[in-house]
Amino acid sequence: MINRRTHLYLALFLLPWFLLYGISSIPFSHGQYFEELDKAKKLPLYTKVEERLNYAMPPTEDLKAFGDQIVKDTNLSGNYGAYRQGPNRIDVYIYTFWQSMQVKCFLDERRILVEKRRFRWDHFLTGMHAKGGFEQGGVSDAWAVLVDLTSVGMLLWVLTGLIMWWRIPSTRKWGWVALAAGFLTFALFIARL
Amino acid sequence: MSSVPAPSWSKLTRRAHLYLALFLTPWVLLYALSTLVMNHKARPATPPSWELVSQRTYNGIFPPSAKAKEIAAQLLISLELDGAHRVTQTSDGLIQIQRQAATAPLRITFTPATFDLKIERQLVSTTAWLETMHRRRGFQHPYLLDDAWAFSVDLFIAGVLFWSLSGLWLWWELKSTRILGAVVLAAGIGLFTYFLRVL
Repeated sequence: MINRRTHLYLALFLLPWFLLYGISSIPFSHGQYFEELDKAKKLPLYTKVEERLNYAMPPTEDLKAFGDQIVKDTNLSGNYGAYRQGPNRIDVYIYTFWQSMQVKCFLDERRILVEKRRFRWDHFLTGMHAKGGFEQGGVSDAWAVLVDLTSVGMLLWVLTGLIMWWRIPSTRKWGWVALAAGFLTFALFIARL
Repeated sequence: MSSVPAPSWSKLTRRAHLYLALFLTPWVLLYALSTLVMNHKARPATPPSWELVSQRTYNGIFPPSAKAKEIAAQLLISLELDGAHRVTQTSDGLIQIQRQAATAPLRITFTPATFDLKIERQLVSTTAWLETMHRRRGFQHPYLLDDAWAFSVDLFIAGVLFWSLSGLWLWWELKSTRILGAVVLAAGIGLFTYFLRVL
């Protein structure tokens, strides 16, 4: 009884996440198709929002601090990360589920260019799929806890599912066939891929 | 002569839910464990370590004006390592081939000026292996085996969607669980909606 109820209620609570990971895996698995579809629209992915000249560039030794300052100066909000693109260029990406911005920082020119990424449903889904980790703090960390919970939930579904299967003797034979076929197929992939 | 009663829709759904889950158990374990690993990964990630397998001079010839991709394809065939790979060329001309492999990925570095050929094997930890397999998907490689894996990933996606929908159906059939189930489902949707609004 406890086993069945754990399987059921955990699944009901985590259903939105499970559906998210299922649906968002489609654009990951068929990325080329979605890229072609978008290319046919002939729309630029990024549009310029603002450009600042003679910008007092923050120190570049610490990329985290650099990103902090850029985000503060541009009044943008969301999770962000700063990435060095070359000796004279650092880009800061600011991300929320619904909007993505990038700030290109041309260090030698003391110029920053703020660009907005056009909304795309496939990017929205893959962005949510890829969101995780405990670096950003706040609500982002709470999301990461739910990512962990979904993973643990999947492990528990396997465990409770196996117990439920074993308690239905009439399904054991074909169950063994399905389980063995799955592990054999998987093992072949690992050996040959 | 007694006739066997046709299985009900409910029983068919239960059996499909069960057997599909049993078949896809290794994929469920892979994605669950790899997600845990990736969610707790140290950032920036530590670069992978490589061990030298061999270093020698390549004694083949390439067509005139062969591009990096063509050189890589020829090298892999002559080394009997043909398979899914990525090619990059550095600014000083080095051609680097990342030969994907589930258990031992290889890095092959070719210097066009000297025909020097270096093969290195990646030292793969369990966590790195899980992440690599998690990210392996898509039909972009011209190899049947990779397409078969991509198909298995698609089957897993179909499984996730089917388990979600059939699970809802199976829950609704258990009348005694409807009220508490609805509360739990609403709580999950509510929390998810909150994240959608603030993140």
